Amino acid sequence: MSGRGGYFLRKVGWALVTILVVVSFNFLLFRVLPGDPAKSGLRDPRLNPAAVEALRERFGLDKPVIFDIESGNLFDSQFTAYLGALSRGDLGTSYAFRDQPVSDLIGRALVNTLWLVVPSQALAILLGAALGLVAAWRRGRPLDAVALTFSLFMWSLPTFFLGIILLVAGAKWFGLPTAGRITIGAEFATFWDVAWDVGRHLLLPTLTLTLVLIGEYMLIMRSSVLDIFGEDYILTARATGLSTYRIIRHHALRNAMLPMVTLIALNLGFTVSGAIQVEAVYSWPGLGALTVDAVGDRDYPVLQGAFLMIAVSVVVANLIAELIYGWLDPRVSED
Amino acid sequence: MRRFHVLIALLSTLGLILAACTAVQDTPSTAPDTSTEPDASSAPTDGGTASGGTVRIGVGGSPDSLNPGNGLLSEAYTLYELMYDTPIGINADGEFVPELASDWSVSDDGLTWTLTIIDNATFHDGEPLTAEDVAYSIQLYKDTEDFPFLPSYASYFETIEAPDETTVELTTAEPLGNFEANMIFMYIVPQHIWEAEDDPVAFENADMIGSGPFSLAEFSQGEFVELDTYAEYWGTQPTVDGVIFQTFDNPDARVTALTTGQVGAITEFPATAVSTLQNAEGVNVHIADIAAGGSLRDVFFNVTAEEDCPPDDGVCSGHPALRDLAVRQALAMATDKQQIIDVATLGTGSPGLSMVPPGLGEFYASDVEDWPFDPAAANTMLDDAGYEDADGDGVRECLADQDCETLTFRFNYADDIDTAAREAELIEGMWAEVGVAIEIQGLDPDTLTSVCCPAFDYDVMLWGWGSDPDPAFLLGVGLCDEIASGFNETGYCNPEFDELYFAQGVETDAATRVEQIREMQRLMVEEVPYIITYYQQSIQAWRTDTFTGWLDTDPTLGLEGPESLTSLRPAE
Repeated sequence: MSGRGGYFLRKVGWALVTILVVVSFNFLLFRVLPGDPAKSGLRDPRLNPAAVEALRERFGLDKPVIFDIESGNLFDSQFTAYLGALSRGDLGTSYAFRDQPVSDLIGRALVNTLWLVVPSQALAILLGAALGLVAAWRRGRPLDAVALTFSLFMWSLPTFFLGIILLVAGAKWFGLPTAGRITIGAEFATFWDVAWDVGRHLLLPTLTLTLVLIGEYMLIMRSSVLDIFGEDYILTARATGLSTYRIIRHHALRNAMLPMVTLIALNLGFTVSGAIQVEAVYSWPGLGALTVDAVGDRDYPVLQGAFLMIAVSVVVANLIAELIYGWLDPRVSED
Repeated sequence: MRRFHVLIALLSTLGLILAACTAVQDTPSTAPDTSTEPDASSAPTDGGTASGGTVRIGVGGSPDSLNPGNGLLSEAYTLYELMYDTPIGINADGEFVPELASDWSVSDDGLTWTLTIIDNATFHDGEPLTAEDVAYSIQLYKDTEDFPFLPSYASYFETIEAPDETTVELTTAEPLGNFEANMIFMYIVPQHIWEAEDDPVAFENADMIGSGPFSLAEFSQGEFVELDTYAEYWGTQPTVDGVIFQTFDNPDARVTALTTGQVGAITEFPATAVSTLQNAEGVNVHIADIAAGGSLRDVFFNVTAEEDCPPDDGVCSGHPALRDLAVRQALAMATDKQQIIDVATLGTGSPGLSMVPPGLGEFYASDVEDWPFDPAAANTMLDDAGYEDADGDGVRECLADQDCETLTFRFNYADDIDTAAREAELIEGMWAEVGVAIEIQGLDPDTLTSVCCPAFDYDVMLWGWGSDPDPAFLLGVGLCDEIASGFNETGYCNPEFDELYFAQGVETDAATRVEQIREMQRLMVEEVPYIITYYQQSIQAWRTDTFTGWLDTDPTLGLEGPESLTSLRPAE
């Protein structure tokens, strides 16, 4: 079990350990927060005490957090109940959205988030890479300066700020909707009407997320292409009289894409969580908005589920990046 | 366990307003164009102009439960008010009006209440609503202790019976002063659906079958609630075809949605947006007191006497000078309420007086005179009481027999109130004018509760309350018996106040009860355990070019209440 197989197992093993640590940490993290989920942040003495107790019991909050020292049954605690349920694939029931399984909530939200994030990422990668390539090609020229300024500006712009500006401008000048993913209560005659309506709702959030992401891709692509341009084999290619287009197309681009692949893989892991601000601005019912609401409500099961989801996607994306690296560059898997 | 039954409210955001002009009551309609209604609601034609159309309202939250027993959030109660009927309603003026009960009376001994239930109400599934359903629902709320709020309203009733199809009889152990106020939350549910459920708390109630003017079309939590008009409604038929409440997480998106016509009205938005909306074309902005409830901001003092300190939880570290009435009265006169309203809330408040907001109608002690803002008189009062600034550092020293150095008070505020920090700074400046210093610290509500009460480990606090439609709930904070429970936040204890409180609880003569409640407010203003800085007002805005008839009569406001949504009609 050496070489490539050993590398693979080692990486997968570490990923599993990471997820286990995250699972435990998630549980503790939210319970350190002050606040009582049974009252969900309401300062209201009018709450019937019997009802508060019943809620506690239903959520299992009447049990000790980690160890039950008093009763003698050491492992009858919230933590063991959580681990037990998790091992059965049960993420629990939301406190705030009562009677709704967390897995359903997260599943629905994840689908919405992907609708938003996948097109944004795809656009940002394509446009960012193209822009970076052109900027590197035209290094030092006005086009490079403009592209560089634009990218740095977009990269440093706070997401929510850009979101609100686009929201107001889009609604005022183009009549675009400011919230949600479809016109509620509207009756659509054909599939195309639905697509048109959904598209209008998607436009502003997608644009915001794309603009925010584009800068990073552009900058990485640009510097990576510039690095390659300094290599001897590019000089050789140039010396043989190849056109700049051919040099880029056949010699520079493929090598320059290597750092991009890393960045894309890493970003894909974070995209699930990365849309939080955009979702909050546009009331997009995705995973980010769900998480923000859950923090406010001290909705532990939803938070645990959402963070688990985010952690797993980051770890898996990392794992894929590492495995691809091991395959692309055999030197990596040999140490 | 509390000694008295705590009342509720939650509905500070206007949910409870009930159709004032119901068919049964047959009072002349307040809206002159009601007579055209049958035409407007008949067969819709193309373009949706002849039908009432669907009104869209932008809101900030989303109902937490469709089960009327389980709701915690005001958004949920807004929904219940539209979907369910209650035996007795309350109108925008804070008056109780007939709803499912066309008439009610109490026996001479004050122990038996008889309600006459109308015979033409039906549930959304077509089944008739009878007195049986009314009795069943009240019994359900009484018996289901795990419901968070409603059991406390139904708990007064010993027996709940429906001797025939249109009569409900309720008996109580002692006379009940606020009978009507307890009826306005009794959402009548269909017995034929609910009795099949083993556990009413676990019942999701996804179909939400009620008897109100609107029925549930679709609900997606955190996104929207879509309601249809119930065509067989027994009372005044709404003209609109339906209502959509859409959740906008972001206040700016909500405001923009209104200015661009995506929604017809919005019910919550930041005060900073008022001028934007006032300048927007086709938008009407209204700032008014909150109907039948409301919330208040208060500054309160730890006045706990040694003998009242709770034996188990009490720390009772309050500043001794605050137990001196002269100091509290001087601070009341040193506080410029109008400036706090203008600066901190941008004018979206009305000056506070007592624990009873003006939205509670005649219970509000409008005849009681508040302490005037008069720093000079406040200074004189402190001088006369012997608090001198001998060392000239701008802060007065304590009296010789007090266990303190100077009039320097710890001042805590709830940091989840976005204007609280600003208000605290303003108060610091005002009180400095009379030689009183404060050390300001913001705390999260849980920490605030732990130092507040029943620990009484504070000097001054800035916090707030939401009122019930009935004043008895909030006035309970002045009871001696509630010091140990911590519901009494100040340690204020006056036997005269307690006596009035218990008298109003069993007073079935409405006018006498009003007098008692006003007298209690007078006592609390006089003895200043609280400075009520202001009553929050509701800011709502709507488009004038899509629908007309929004309920916007002063002094109260409730755009999304049944009364308002029933009177809406498309704009010309």
